[in-house]
Amino acid sequence: MSAGFELDVDTQRWRRHLDTMVEATPGIVPVIKGNGYGLGRDLLAAESTRLGLGSIAVGTYNEVPEALAAFDGDVMVLTPWRPFFDHVVLDDRVIHTMGRVADIEELAAQAPGARIILEGETSMARHGLDRHELAAAVAALGDLRVEGFAIHLPLGPAGRAGGNFTEAQSWAAALEASQVDTTTLYVSHLTPAELAALRTHRPHLDVRPRIGTSLWLGDLGALSVRATVLDAHLVARGEHIGYRQRPMPRDGTLLIISGGTSHGVGLEAPKASSGAVQRGKLLAKGGLEAAGLSLSPFTVDGKQRWFAEPPHMQASMIFLPASATAPAVGDRVDVAVRFTTATFDAVNLR
Amino acid sequence: MTSASLPGPLRVRPISDAEHLDFIRRRPSVSFLQTPAWAVVKSEWRGESIGWFDGDRVVGAALVLYRQLPRLKRYLAYLPEGPDIDWLGGDLARWLDPLRAHLKEQGAFGIRMGPPVVTRRWHAGTIKQAIADPVLGTLSDVPADVSDAAALAVATELTALGWKELPTEGGFSAGQPKFNFQVPLAGRTEEDVLAGMNQLWRRNIKKAAKAGVEVTTGSRDDLAEFHRVYAETAERDHFTPRPLSYFERMWDALTTEEPDRLVLYLARHEGDLVAATTMVRVGEHAWYSYGASTTAKRDVRGSNAIQWQMMRDALAAGATTYDMRGITETLDPADSHVGLIQFKVGTGGEAVEYLGEWDLPISRPLHLGFTTYMKRRG
Repeated sequence: MSAGFELDVDTQRWRRHLDTMVEATPGIVPVIKGNGYGLGRDLLAAESTRLGLGSIAVGTYNEVPEALAAFDGDVMVLTPWRPFFDHVVLDDRVIHTMGRVADIEELAAQAPGARIILEGETSMARHGLDRHELAAAVAALGDLRVEGFAIHLPLGPAGRAGGNFTEAQSWAAALEASQVDTTTLYVSHLTPAELAALRTHRPHLDVRPRIGTSLWLGDLGALSVRATVLDAHLVARGEHIGYRQRPMPRDGTLLIISGGTSHGVGLEAPKASSGAVQRGKLLAKGGLEAAGLSLSPFTVDGKQRWFAEPPHMQASMIFLPASATAPAVGDRVDVAVRFTTATFDAVNLR
Repeated sequence: MTSASLPGPLRVRPISDAEHLDFIRRRPSVSFLQTPAWAVVKSEWRGESIGWFDGDRVVGAALVLYRQLPRLKRYLAYLPEGPDIDWLGGDLARWLDPLRAHLKEQGAFGIRMGPPVVTRRWHAGTIKQAIADPVLGTLSDVPADVSDAAALAVATELTALGWKELPTEGGFSAGQPKFNFQVPLAGRTEEDVLAGMNQLWRRNIKKAAKAGVEVTTGSRDDLAEFHRVYAETAERDHFTPRPLSYFERMWDALTTEEPDRLVLYLARHEGDLVAATTMVRVGEHAWYSYGASTTAKRDVRGSNAIQWQMMRDALAAGATTYDMRGITETLDPADSHVGLIQFKVGTGGEAVEYLGEWDLPISRPLHLGFTTYMKRRG
């Protein structure tokens, strides 16, 4: 039995969700980027093949060679092509995203015949062409082959997909009135209802959603993360422990649990919070952090527990007060992971 | 106009009407609102022709109209559809700094101008499709068929120099319209232009000819007859007509400048005047300026016949643009303005967006007072 920081996948249940979602989402293009949502990009590529999908989307050109090896269909790159990129893969199965007129001219000169997608700049204000630049973009195409038009929409008002319908509609109309010769519109962050409405309003367009999180992580019940208790020591209040020889606040148990910074444990990213209440909560947490302790993502005996010291590279030291029931060495504990930043020692399809 | 020497500083000073006209004649086209004659038409403003000098060579020109503030010896300096300078050559401060200095010396509390710079164009087919699409409510929603990056950069430069674009409502500001409709004539024959029109236009032109509508040009004496139909149109379309004297003044001023600067067109059916228009031309640019038609005998399509005659004459005179002037930005079929756009779109021309009108305050308090006053006046 391995004792790492591992992800167990209830394969049957996970695939049931994937099959249902793919069936309910015609034209879906799975997004396979970064850490592969914790599952790993190769696994997701293989799963895309199993699902019978013809194309996948990766984040960057660095991810392309692996994707081409793991998947037989088309690979589109979400990051717009730039002339200064040095990992660009020119392959007939690769579809490049173009967001600047000058880049289109440049790629047309460098790689005539390359397959591309034009991206429109939405209210995300991240990448893309202004709608009035579309004619110039078309004029710059040369022998490039346009495979579609893409828009990347922000999350909706509640921080979830939704509320983007008006913007999606406006871009769909703009695409139809433009000189861009394609009827394929790639979208992201639209709800199934919005997708359906867009298809009804724009019957001439082939609307293709690019989906990552809600596909791969859409049924979290199928995924369980296993952190293993590697060791447990009784400690007394005031006893100095760890790399930093910190005194323990109370009597209790010190747990050494698999999972450290190299697994993504203890990473703090800006919280996706917006409300005053949520900000208040963070502030309260910050107060405790100021006292020298940080809340860990490990749940032991029903509660989220504190780090006894900052997480190590591959294991964490967790303080458990004497009032709690300590797990045995070899027991597994629950961890709240952010899948997009987690790296597992193993992903076990069960 | 190329010069091997380094560009020197530019100076602005008043020029005579003759000097101004001489400069205009050397240009492919300048707005008719930038001719010395226009100052005569706008008699309620004081007009001044100014020139930009590089050494002793005139390299740019403008007609400035000064409007006095009530009870004060301070003016708004207005350069409608001007000035005529090298807008896209870069370094606008070189042109606009001496302009500001000169106008300030003349007592201007602020400057208003309308750079004759086209930023975007939409072809007729695109507009027609957009009108049919409920999601595309304005021209700005519709991807332009042509977008001029250098022209758009002028806005950034003007902003950096302290100029502010006048807000417009649906493309209409208090001044000149931002969106215009033009029929390109360069390199086209009469047959090309006709073939570019939609079926309805072609049918109506034919219908008018078949019905025996005759289009002729008129003299100053015919202005009264034009005015009669124009007043009827004003009543029907609910706008305030200008008096006959205004048109007579325009006739005198413009035709004195160039005999064919202003031409009066009259369309008659069996002796009855059914439509009357005026066309203004400066160099390669011809404008349909005023138009009127009778309610009676609408079915003989005098309006189409008279437009067609103006286009043909513009073409024969060497014009590269037939300008049907302002349109609103709206493409909403529920908006009453859309009918006018549809009429113009039928010619197969294009909607053009200009850079708009821009203000530079010289005296901030006076400029603020003036803007507030104009807003309240509505």
